[in-house]
Amino acid sequence: MSIRLEQVTKNYGNVQGISNISLEMEPGITGILGPNGAGKSTTMKIILGLSRPSRGIVRVNGNDPFTDWKLKRKFGFVPEYDCFYEHMSGLDYVSYFLRMHDVDKEKAEKMAREALSELGLDDSMERKINTYSKGMRQKTKVARATVFDPEILIMDEPFQGADPTTRGLLMKKLTEWAEKGKTILISSHILHDVQSLTDNIMLINNGKMLAYGDRHEIRKLMDNIPRPISIRPLKKGNIRNLAKRMLDEKWTKATTIDEENNELTVETDQSEEVYMELPRILQNEKVSVERIYSEDDSLDSLYEKLVEGAQWK
Amino acid sequence: MEMNLGEEIMAFARRSKNLFPPVAKDCTYRLLANKMTWILIGILLLPCLFGIILYNEFSEDREYEMQGDDKIYLFPDSEDNLVPLHKDLRETFVEQSDLFNISFVAIILAILFSSELINEEYTQKTMQLLRTTPIHSFEILLYRYIAGVLCMFGILGIYSILFYLTTMMGSGQYGIIENLDVLLLILKVLLFESIAFMGIFSVFTIYFNRPFLIGIIYWIIWESIVSGQNYQKITITHYLNSMLFDSTKEMGWDVVASDYNLVNSKDDIIATEPLTSMLIIIIITLIMLFLGTRGIANRQF
Repeated sequence: MSIRLEQVTKNYGNVQGISNISLEMEPGITGILGPNGAGKSTTMKIILGLSRPSRGIVRVNGNDPFTDWKLKRKFGFVPEYDCFYEHMSGLDYVSYFLRMHDVDKEKAEKMAREALSELGLDDSMERKINTYSKGMRQKTKVARATVFDPEILIMDEPFQGADPTTRGLLMKKLTEWAEKGKTILISSHILHDVQSLTDNIMLINNGKMLAYGDRHEIRKLMDNIPRPISIRPLKKGNIRNLAKRMLDEKWTKATTIDEENNELTVETDQSEEVYMELPRILQNEKVSVERIYSEDDSLDSLYEKLVEGAQWK
Repeated sequence: MEMNLGEEIMAFARRSKNLFPPVAKDCTYRLLANKMTWILIGILLLPCLFGIILYNEFSEDREYEMQGDDKIYLFPDSEDNLVPLHKDLRETFVEQSDLFNISFVAIILAILFSSELINEEYTQKTMQLLRTTPIHSFEILLYRYIAGVLCMFGILGIYSILFYLTTMMGSGQYGIIENLDVLLLILKVLLFESIAFMGIFSVFTIYFNRPFLIGIIYWIIWESIVSGQNYQKITITHYLNSMLFDSTKEMGWDVVASDYNLVNSKDDIIATEPLTSMLIIIIITLIMLFLGTRGIANRQF
């Protein structure tokens, strides 16, 4: 299943929802990240055919999701908000939507039971939804969206309100579904969750797409933003000499010494060069190191840099 | 694989066996769990109660005559002549049904039900989920519409039967059986009223954010004021009144067009043939369903 957005803009009156977003999604997990009001939900709704772009083209498997209602059988949607028939039980709710997929009554009930059971709702599936906790509601939403084995899963904050066990379970399931070749678009404000699921991300802010692709690749494009690389020598005494030596190199913008942790941080805008040159320098200076690392291409860091308004190439 | 129109219709009919029952079950539950429905049912029961009280008060003053095995109750008219009581009571039944049931409660029920069945789906955001399922917007509307019509007609129909029995019981078994055609007439009018107004108010709930208010305004301005004027043929009330007028005339009642406001300012009769009235109501409903389908399909979230 392929999803393609071409120069998509969505305006709500004078307010711009999203602007000029182009992307092509292939099977696997894609994380969509951005602060509240960035345009994540709008992008998802446009892909789902719940909203029509003001400009641009949206195609899911070559078809327009807004007009092609039959295409909807391929979509599983977990909205951020609650959207329940509160008087129904979890089992009735999931069965009800299965019936909308033209599944007969007995089969729908069986499938709903299995889906809810798999997500740990064995004991509560026959209780009315208005008695459910936030976590149980979240699981019911996921069960409803996935029970008919959709090819595309659009999940808006699926971990919201989920306890650690549920979160772990959902992550396991998401990984399994991705391995089965499903196309999954997931938004979350918990960056760690997305980071542990996928490297493929889309960063969005103020309706504009800031970056899309592999997060490591995205970070590489941001060379004009100094990147911290930390070095921890084995011996304490080496750290000051090493800092001095590093300042001789043209790619070093600044160095910071953390005496307490025996750590030297080199800020550079040419990280590739640093990784190439560093072994030679350490060898010449006869410095053995315990660890060299950079946490700068973590999603938190990337997110902060992009969303806080920093520039990238 | 592309399907032609015939195959689409067949697929739609086949799917309805799966899709309609859960929607109908859910809609019926929601309508019957709504407090307003029970308040209206309570209001509807008042005339029945009044009928029982009245019966207890006048039943002992009745006289009767036997015609074969039939016991016909009689009552003195304004000139103290004894007349069959059932003729007087059936007129009361039709007049009160027209005034209270057809012109008031049915409209409120239609506004309430369409609002509960469709507007609530938007408020609770379940419509967004329905729009991500592989069902056509027409199916989303149609099943809710049918469930609404069945519930509305069910409530009004049961009420009419009760009201008929409590009104006619003064005329005994003979009067009740003899005038069943009057009950059927009211049921027919109520069925067409349910069909028409559920369609119209469903469209209001799809296109307007405050359907209840719009519905009340429509009822007051369109169905109450315009329906008594020269241009009344653009109202549903005109066609319902035409059905009532023609049928009561057929039954040999002493009625004139002005009893049902079916005259223009020059006092010309402007009643419509009952069959034409039914057809127009069905056509209006189909147009409403079409508009409603378009509204659901084009609504963005």
